[in-house]
Amino acid sequence: MAEEIRKETAREKDVEIMLDNVGMVYKTTDGKDVTALTGVSFDIHKGEFISLLGPSGCGKTTLLRIIADLITPTSGNVLIGGETPRQARLKKRYAMVFQSAVLYDWRTVRKNVMLPLEIMKVPKKERIERADKMLKLVGLSDFADHYPRQLSGGMQQRVGIARALAIRPEILLMDEPFSALDEFTREKLHDDLLRIWRKTNKTVIFVTHNIQESVFLSDRVCVLSPHPGRLSAVVDIDLPRPRTMDIKDTPEFTALVAKVRNSFEGV
Amino acid sequence: MTNKARLNLLASVLLPLCVAVLLFILWQTEVLHILLGTDTITLPLPTRIGEIIGQNADAIWEHTQISLRVALGGLVMGSVLGYGIALIATIFPKWGAGGLSIVSAFNAIPIVALAPVINNWTRDISTEVDQRSTVAKMLVVMIFCTASMSINAFRGLTELKPFSEDLMKTYAAKRGTVFLKLRLPNSIPYIFTALKVSVPSSIIGALVSEYFAEDTVGVGRQIRENIVKGQYPTAWAYIAVACIIGIALYAILMLVEHLVMKRRKG
Amino acid sequence: MTKLKRILASKTTVTLVWVVGVMAIWEVFAFIVAATKRTPINVLPHVWQIVESFFSDKAVTGKMTMAQLIATSCGETLSRAAIGFLIGTVLGYLLALLMNMSGIVEKIAFPYLMIIQMIPILGMAPIILAITGDIDSSRMVIAAILTFYPVSTNTLAGFKAVEKEKHELMYSYAATGFQRYIKTYIPFSIPYFFTGLKISAPMAITASILVDTLQGGNGLGCMLSQSLKGGMTRLVFWDIVVISAIIGILSYYLMGLIEKLICPYKRRGQEVIL
Repeated sequence: MAEEIRKETAREKDVEIMLDNVGMVYKTTDGKDVTALTGVSFDIHKGEFISLLGPSGCGKTTLLRIIADLITPTSGNVLIGGETPRQARLKKRYAMVFQSAVLYDWRTVRKNVMLPLEIMKVPKKERIERADKMLKLVGLSDFADHYPRQLSGGMQQRVGIARALAIRPEILLMDEPFSALDEFTREKLHDDLLRIWRKTNKTVIFVTHNIQESVFLSDRVCVLSPHPGRLSAVVDIDLPRPRTMDIKDTPEFTALVAKVRNSFEGV
Repeated sequence: MTNKARLNLLASVLLPLCVAVLLFILWQTEVLHILLGTDTITLPLPTRIGEIIGQNADAIWEHTQISLRVALGGLVMGSVLGYGIALIATIFPKWGAGGLSIVSAFNAIPIVALAPVINNWTRDISTEVDQRSTVAKMLVVMIFCTASMSINAFRGLTELKPFSEDLMKTYAAKRGTVFLKLRLPNSIPYIFTALKVSVPSSIIGALVSEYFAEDTVGVGRQIRENIVKGQYPTAWAYIAVACIIGIALYAILMLVEHLVMKRRKG
Repeated sequence: MTKLKRILASKTTVTLVWVVGVMAIWEVFAFIVAATKRTPINVLPHVWQIVESFFSDKAVTGKMTMAQLIATSCGETLSRAAIGFLIGTVLGYLLALLMNMSGIVEKIAFPYLMIIQMIPILGMAPIILAITGDIDSSRMVIAAILTFYPVSTNTLAGFKAVEKEKHELMYSYAATGFQRYIKTYIPFSIPYFFTGLKISAPMAITASILVDTLQGGNGLGCMLSQSLKGGMTRLVFWDIVVISAIIGILSYYLMGLIEKLICPYKRRGQEVIL
């Protein structure tokens, strides 16, 4: 009993992001209230890979945007390392990766990765060093002087990840980053993302509508259900790491996918 | 939220209106004249211009009709010609696209250079000065309006929704059918885009070609003649009329576009 | 053989064939005119007559040859057009910036930008000449007005076209307002800005020539009307028509060229590597 409590407090210390009864109500132009998200409470631990999974309209992107301080919740509290999302943003504790790579097409790949460092006024020499290091990490060293338009969609998204990592955030917020890619490219990027995650020890919050993807990548899958958007289950994925593609053929994987699928409500 | 939207709309109407009123007051109280370093002879007061318009309403209306006829006649001719060129370019895409770039190059030719040339060419059309002059002016406007229509219509005829052409092919549709069911309707919004450019240019074309015309009629020519004669208030009256024509034609175009596009959406 | 085919299929060849075609049609008509009219040079001279007269060392007025005459009047007209164009560009860009920064400025200025497009500014050239009383400044004023609003509306459209995600990215970096403009708004809107410049460059030149014709002086337009009135050979008129057409077209391409120099990424964007 005492041991369990000690374990509990130890985990509490590890909490990176704390969501407490978070809710979001929009007002439409004709004055009606729409509940996008209601009563979401759970903790995300340091170094954890979390997926926010759900169909469209379940509020998963809304939740991510609340954590990113892009919108303010209408109820509840969010703490990131004990601070408000705004403080966390100003301290650059997190970095965003969007659905599209959002690259600046007038900048070379290297300069795209350097963009946030320029804004943070990092000295030029260090900027270049850090950008090149990140490009090496995502395997794009040979393309540093190319322009984004010359790259494939998968490569562009890698640049987006390199740019996010360049600011050395503690948390990586990823909003359906691979949903526009084909299956083959996506699997390759899954591998790369897990490798990078292992190497850098970031906390990752990964929004997706793909059940297989969420199970393959995550430590825990947060299942959100729509109308109104709410957290309907948190499924622990206890598959061994490091994971390779083969794991997808195991019965354990299939069972977990089924478990996640069955935890949706009202779809 | 709704209140906020309403307030926003109100602001976007009231703010520019306030500026207009302020401008009017500055003009009427001759502060504007000090700012521009001019006098009430060159820049008469708005009330004086209004007076002149009232006094010369008949003559102004006559010149307005003449200019409108030239502008609209040239606009129609130029738009039809432009659409025709776009059609030919659609049928022969490789050579047509090159031809279009030639047509768009015509657009860069200064209209001042064009008007006297056309005047020379139309000398034998009629023994009546007003007839051949009208034709010459219309031709200038026509050339001025062709390019925007041909370029936009070509885009409308060729930039189809993805797979729509393939869909037509699966129906084994003939070229004519593809044109009628797909290309033609697709080009309608582009026609309006073209007209938004060419309606204002048709008026400019009409006014400027009047400067060089044999016949000394039309709103543009009256602006010039009255300035030469030192009758600035009358010149300003014609300038005001020119502005009204421009705004009115554009407003009509927007209205027609609204009606047509509304019907398309169902 | 395949090389020949590729050359034939290239865009330049197509354009070249068209240019030659237009000239051929011109010549056909010139021959007809030469055979039927009493003073063919007034209606349509041969292309070679125009070219020849341009390079001829015969004096057309005073001591100047055709080339000299046109060069001096071009310099006069174009320099004023260029100054007006620059002033209009700067003012137009500043207004676009202000409109993007302040909703109030945008609300005030936007309807006026709309209206100014509908008003025949060129038709007001004589009155602007009367107000300024000076041909040089009126050339600049009209060129500036005609440049001002295409630059302003297109640049503003460029600012507005920045994607939502780029704003969010800047927000997540806690970028300052200045950084947003330097890093995102301004570079993003450059192609839009150049669209405005491409529209207004030929217009500024047209305006400058038009103002010339309203009053005596040394500009292209003055020579044009003097030649029309019979003050000098008609070929001066034809040469100026051709030259001003070429300058108008070149001014458009010059803007495109500058754009390519400023944004090389667009040009290199052609060669996609997978």
